[in-house]
Amino acid sequence: MIRKILPFLLAVLLLAGGEVPAADTLVNGIDANFPPFAFVDKTGTPSGFDVEAMTLIARDLGVAISHQPIEWDGIITSLLTKKIDVIASGMSITPTRAQQVSFTIPYWVIKQVMVVKKDSSLTLDELQNSKKTIGVQQGTPEAKWLKEEAAAKGYNFTLRYYNSSPLAVEDLLNGRIDAAAMNDAPAKDALARKEVQILGPYGMPDEEFGYAVRKEDRELLDKVNAGLRELMASPEWQTLINKYELKK
Amino acid sequence: MPTSLAVIADSLPYLLAGTLNTALIVSLAMLVGLVLGVVIAVGLVYGRRPVRFLLGLYVWFFRGVPVLALLFLFYFGLFTWLGLSVNALLSAALVLGMTTGAYQANIFRGAILALPHGQFRAASALGMSDLQAIRSIILPQALRLSLPAWSNEYSIVLKDSALAFVIGAPEIMARTQFVASRTYQHLPLYLTAGLLYFLLTWLGLATLKHLEKKLRIPGYSQHGSQ
Repeated sequence: MIRKILPFLLAVLLLAGGEVPAADTLVNGIDANFPPFAFVDKTGTPSGFDVEAMTLIARDLGVAISHQPIEWDGIITSLLTKKIDVIASGMSITPTRAQQVSFTIPYWVIKQVMVVKKDSSLTLDELQNSKKTIGVQQGTPEAKWLKEEAAAKGYNFTLRYYNSSPLAVEDLLNGRIDAAAMNDAPAKDALARKEVQILGPYGMPDEEFGYAVRKEDRELLDKVNAGLRELMASPEWQTLINKYELKK
Repeated sequence: MPTSLAVIADSLPYLLAGTLNTALIVSLAMLVGLVLGVVIAVGLVYGRRPVRFLLGLYVWFFRGVPVLALLFLFYFGLFTWLGLSVNALLSAALVLGMTTGAYQANIFRGAILALPHGQFRAASALGMSDLQAIRSIILPQALRLSLPAWSNEYSIVLKDSALAFVIGAPEIMARTQFVASRTYQHLPLYLTAGLLYFLLTWLGLATLKHLEKKLRIPGYSQHGSQ
């Protein structure tokens, strides 16, 4: 019996271990639930603005790259414990995060918006002051900001946490929450596919996206910065922006 | 074709590959659990006091801590601390294996205790060593007795494996979410995921049922063992 099982067990182990990328490959951790910056395309391949940008940067640096979907809540932990080497996945540069990781130069300015149902006539004031429920992705600056803002200004909305903004949109349509707070790019993505509308900004200051690496990887940070600067100055950058409709 | 069906058709190969990963996690976990479970059960029944105490501690720990916490603890903590570079898939399989090992130990322990103690003494009287008696008299019977409960454990581990998405293992649940985030077809996609889990449960349980029949010893009755 054991002799019959053993070869199978070894085969399984080999198969399971086979997905570890080669040692000299740069592993980029992405939140695959964050279109259009990072998602998984029809063929199951990681895709999106940041995925393509990082691939171009890696090509420039002459290193191989693989993109690995990681749960957003644990993505910084994954970086710090060396499961991944870089985070190029729509991450806002915040002081709290900057204490743990090093950010590249900012490459995109993101606005924070409220999304409501298409037929909704809610105003921002009603959302903040009449005991409404707002959904937000866990572990994001907007989640933190909304919580602090509510405490500071005495707003009486309740926050509901989701592990991605598409899930918050889904629950908005289910009627469990009255609005969902998110970045403008994924909001526009939702708009194109679901019966929702963008209510508009809610007072949270604009944020900047940057790529993150471990603090000790100074050399990598310099290289990615150089690659990013070069890419942003090239026509390929505009092509990417158009392709993922970031300016629409 | 409505959008929802088109999305499912498009993403089916991707989800099926995820189903294969889930099957991989679960079969590896069940094997690890089987080995651990048998060793622990034998130790719990026949071991000396300090051995029993340590094994009891193991069972107590893995039954007491939620799988989700264990996944984080091992993937981000212990495995890294030990310098092991195990990917998410293997980590999930090992953590689920260690957890189900604790539960399986109790299944096997119960089965061993259900056998009349006289058998062990009879084996000794025939000149068998303790290990020989356990290996060729006790375990063959106890493992057969355990099969129904073991197949229960299989379906539980299968469903627990969905938690592996939190550490980024490319299994059914994680992949379903990725497709849903891109297409906003949450309901049909989660239905598909449910069907895929059902398929795996059914396949596994049917195999184990078949195994139960095949391993039955003709003329041996599990009720007439006294």
